[in-house]
Amino acid sequence: MRVFWELGWFFKERKKQYITGVILLLFVAFLGVLPPRIIGFVVDEIGRGTLTPAFLVKWLGILGASALLMYALRYAWRLMIFGSSILLAQNLRERLFTHFTRMSPAFYQKRRVGDLMAHATNDLQAVQQTAGIGVLTLVDSIATGGFVIAAMALTVSWKLTLIVLLPMPLMAYMTNYYGKLLHERFHGAQEAFSSLNDKTQESISGMKVIKTFGQEKQDIDDFKRLSDRVVDENIRVARVDSLFDPTISAIIGVCYFLALGFGTYFVMNGEMTIGDMVAFTTYLGLLVWPMLAFGWLFNIVERGRASYDRIRRLLAEPVDIDDREDAVDVRPQGDIVFSLEQFQFTGDDRAALRDVYFTLRRGETLGIVGKTGSGKSAILRLLLREFDHYDGDITFGGISVNDYKKQQLRKAIGYVPQDHFLFSTTIAGNIAFARPDAAMEEVHEAAKLAHIHQDILNFTEGYSTVVGERGVSLSGGQKQRISIARALMMRPELLILDDSLSAVDAKTEEAILSSLKKTRTGATTIITSHRLSAIQHAHQIIVMHEGTVAEIGTHDQLMKKKGRYYEMYELQQLEALVEQGGEA
Amino acid sequence: MEKPKELTGKDQWLVFKRLLKYLAPHKRMLAVAMFLLVLTVIGDVLGPVLIKTFIDDYLTPGSFPTGPVAGLALGYFFIQVSNVVISYFQLLKFQEAALKIIQQLRIDVFTKVQNLGMRYFDRTPAGSMVSRVTNDTEAIKEMFVSVLIGFVQSIFLIVGVYIAMFFLNVRLALITLLVLPILVWIMYLYRKYSSEFYQDLRERLGQLNAKLSESLQGMGMVQAFGQEARLQDEFNNINEKHWQAGKRNIKLDGLLLHPAIDLVYALALILLLSYFGVTSFTNTVEVGVLYAFVAYINRFFEPVNQVMERLSIFQQAIVSASRVFELLDEDDLAPAQAGAGGEIVDGKIEFRNVSFSYDGKGDVLKNISFTAMPGETVALVGHTGSGKSSIINLLMRFYEFERGDILIDGQSVKEYPAKELRSKMGLVLQDPFLFYGTIDSNIRLHDHSMPDQTVQAAAQFVQADRFINELPKGYQQQVTERGSTFSSGQRQLVAFARTMATDPKILVLDEATANIDTETEVAIQVGLERMRQGRTTIAIAHRLSTIQDAELILVLHHGEIVERGTHQELLAKRGLYHKMYLLQNGIVE
Repeated sequence: MRVFWELGWFFKERKKQYITGVILLLFVAFLGVLPPRIIGFVVDEIGRGTLTPAFLVKWLGILGASALLMYALRYAWRLMIFGSSILLAQNLRERLFTHFTRMSPAFYQKRRVGDLMAHATNDLQAVQQTAGIGVLTLVDSIATGGFVIAAMALTVSWKLTLIVLLPMPLMAYMTNYYGKLLHERFHGAQEAFSSLNDKTQESISGMKVIKTFGQEKQDIDDFKRLSDRVVDENIRVARVDSLFDPTISAIIGVCYFLALGFGTYFVMNGEMTIGDMVAFTTYLGLLVWPMLAFGWLFNIVERGRASYDRIRRLLAEPVDIDDREDAVDVRPQGDIVFSLEQFQFTGDDRAALRDVYFTLRRGETLGIVGKTGSGKSAILRLLLREFDHYDGDITFGGISVNDYKKQQLRKAIGYVPQDHFLFSTTIAGNIAFARPDAAMEEVHEAAKLAHIHQDILNFTEGYSTVVGERGVSLSGGQKQRISIARALMMRPELLILDDSLSAVDAKTEEAILSSLKKTRTGATTIITSHRLSAIQHAHQIIVMHEGTVAEIGTHDQLMKKKGRYYEMYELQQLEALVEQGGEA
Repeated sequence: MEKPKELTGKDQWLVFKRLLKYLAPHKRMLAVAMFLLVLTVIGDVLGPVLIKTFIDDYLTPGSFPTGPVAGLALGYFFIQVSNVVISYFQLLKFQEAALKIIQQLRIDVFTKVQNLGMRYFDRTPAGSMVSRVTNDTEAIKEMFVSVLIGFVQSIFLIVGVYIAMFFLNVRLALITLLVLPILVWIMYLYRKYSSEFYQDLRERLGQLNAKLSESLQGMGMVQAFGQEARLQDEFNNINEKHWQAGKRNIKLDGLLLHPAIDLVYALALILLLSYFGVTSFTNTVEVGVLYAFVAYINRFFEPVNQVMERLSIFQQAIVSASRVFELLDEDDLAPAQAGAGGEIVDGKIEFRNVSFSYDGKGDVLKNISFTAMPGETVALVGHTGSGKSSIINLLMRFYEFERGDILIDGQSVKEYPAKELRSKMGLVLQDPFLFYGTIDSNIRLHDHSMPDQTVQAAAQFVQADRFINELPKGYQQQVTERGSTFSSGQRQLVAFARTMATDPKILVLDEATANIDTETEVAIQVGLERMRQGRTTIAIAHRLSTIQDAELILVLHHGEIVERGTHQELLAKRGLYHKMYLLQNGIVE
């Protein structure tokens, strides 16, 4: 029940709704006591032969009015309590999302998207249930149970009430016991189901092997075996599950039996009337639900607590890269000086970069080459300030990148990543991602620079074509070029192309590079690439190897050196030849 | 994301009818359950009759002759006890039947999946197929267990209650019949609106989750472009709409579910009491009958409430079922074998003018012809997309082809029985897929009759025995999902052993591109060498060094054979092969 305490802040926030809701619930529970009592009155009057039309109309009128009132109240409390519970879900979802937008890439590296999603879906669902059905069940079961028992004891007979209630705890005990049993067996059923799921997954992934060995039939037999287990485990669950209803009706049956037996005795010695007895047995029926509800309540609350804990832990995760207190609030521009002694990724004992020093003058282009894992991307990620724990300093316009406001630094850098991620919106929406209200002409201009304009016009819906899972599927090269256009829309001080021309052919690559060169005079560019043609014309080229600078210079200087760069260059020429089928 | 599907009322009905067909094989079990259900309903209905008799015949007059009263009490007791026992078995039987029905459906879907062609696997994400087999069928199970069974039980109970009411008092029973149309009307209204509102809520939730998932995946971009605030706004906007949809559902539920049913209950009570009251002005009224009617009405509304609250499960299950049936109706089947008979004895392979296209547009193979004589090795080289894998795919009958023909020992591959082809041809895949189980089970696969010696001999033959013997549990060593605890080289060796255990006549090799650890590299080379001895081999080679002794090397480019010959001949040609060779050896001319 601690979770109700922990959610206290929300209940306070929605004080009015919850208090009103609870009062309404109490009122409904109270009104629920009326019908059996009215039945009892009418039965007595009929039995005595003293029923008058006025009496009948009066009590039936009350019954009708209370029914209508209950309808209205029930509707109202649902709106209050359930309405609040979905608001809680909305509120937490919003907070989670905002929190997600603040977390650094390091966070996303250690958490899986599926897991984060689970917080925002299943866990939220469980918390919502606690604040809705949980509250309802708690209040309603206590109130209904209380009122009904009070009505039985006060308006009929407290003696009979005591007698009849004797078997009730047994019901609570039994259902609780079944609940535990069920929980355990349910676990078994879950496991059987998930092994069936794994089996299916595996068979589908390994379909070629199965087909190769002609083992389809055997594999189906294997699946049948597992599905037998699923059935068996579920029957084990059903065996317990099917106990609930009969047990409850057995115990209720005993209660009825007691009520009738002792009731008859009381009627005979004049302690109660037949009408009382009819009312009493009807009350008994009303007691079943509160008894059961208590069992569910524990279940709901248990899940709600675990889920809320998980959500809170996630929300408490600190934002690891944030603006410094006296952060510089201007958009950086100028030379970039990179002087790094050492940097390692968290949890990695090997240095990802060491002794990397270079200066990139404003308006110049830097090319970085090297194998996968040589440290190219790490340099870029430090520039983007995805990490700020390292030995050394990286300055942009004379100020350390860590001293700028994050927003300002990002405004200055147009980043085109390796894994060109596009959002499922229109192409125009993707290009204008950073400036959603930019004029269409500007979007076209950027697309032209990235040499994707013509491709876009060829789509049936042009710039309004939706990309992504539900839209048109683009080739890798098209995605890359759209990513470039997106970065250009920012008119960035520094443009970073992180191996982002790998999927476009050599001719287009050259065209893009030369139009960039033309339009981006005075602006700085960094290009990393596997393909040397992309960086051949850079003012400065760095060859990275195992986290450090192996060679540095212009294309001509490096070619003369006949070192790594030279070798890479020659091999690539050959590779290009092979790809073209051997004819130059 | 699954594409949201619009199902019209008629579609839903068709899907439902098709689902019901799955009940047929379980007729007997269902009949037993139905019979038990009838018994419990009789028990349920009889209880109030007995109490009514007690009230009217003994309690009201105040006389208690021991015999009849004791008889009544015993009768009541007996009915209660037997009812408890019978209803337990009734509930169990229904659930059992539902589970068996779902099992059959699952097996059908899985069998279907096994019979689909690779083409289907190419265009369908594995995850969604798995969902069809397990999650969707699970949703259908939910419907059977918590909706259909409840529905049947409610109908029986309602019928039973009415029979009892008519038996007690025809006119009163007729009056209470008045509430039925109201209930049906409420149910109709609820179904009508909830299918729309609920659908809307689900769609909004889908959007919400899609947005969240996309934002999480693209968070790097969002942050790099400083668009956090805008994304938050967009998300909050969808969140708000989802909330509104949720609120709409709460309102609908509040108007038409429990509160409404309870209102009808009160109406029924009022009708009942008015009837008795008005009658009592002129006639004597049996109080016991009134009691019985009150009891029946209480009993009657319980299941109605339950069924109503679960209608949304029904909706969900129909959507799932329609997806399952869609897969069952898929006609992209694996290529069929003419099955005329025939046996592969020598293993001579001949490609005759084979052309092939996956999508019917661009040809990935153009007029391929070559012959591999028994025991010879033919190597296929070329860069990605040159058509090497397609040649293997056709030879292995993963895809159907129409143009040209592939002959083995002079007979078309299309004409051999599937079993003959599978047992005489061994394929080693580029990515050696290991199944969950043990090393032993991964070598023998599902062949339980294979002697242990064969398994071990096969492992020895490809030199996999060395690393296997070093494992703590040897051949019984656990293999976890996809064999992730083994190195890629070790996995490759196990895959070799798996192929050798069936002793194929023809070997098809798709050499691994991934870097093999140096420890197993030698073992693999030796293994490959040995496997090829005496077998016709078609090998895709990424490393030219492994196929220098091949009798024939085919160099592919854009689906055509551009060069053919032995290693030496091709080098001498100084063409594409020569350049590839230089490239691989890192030689700069």
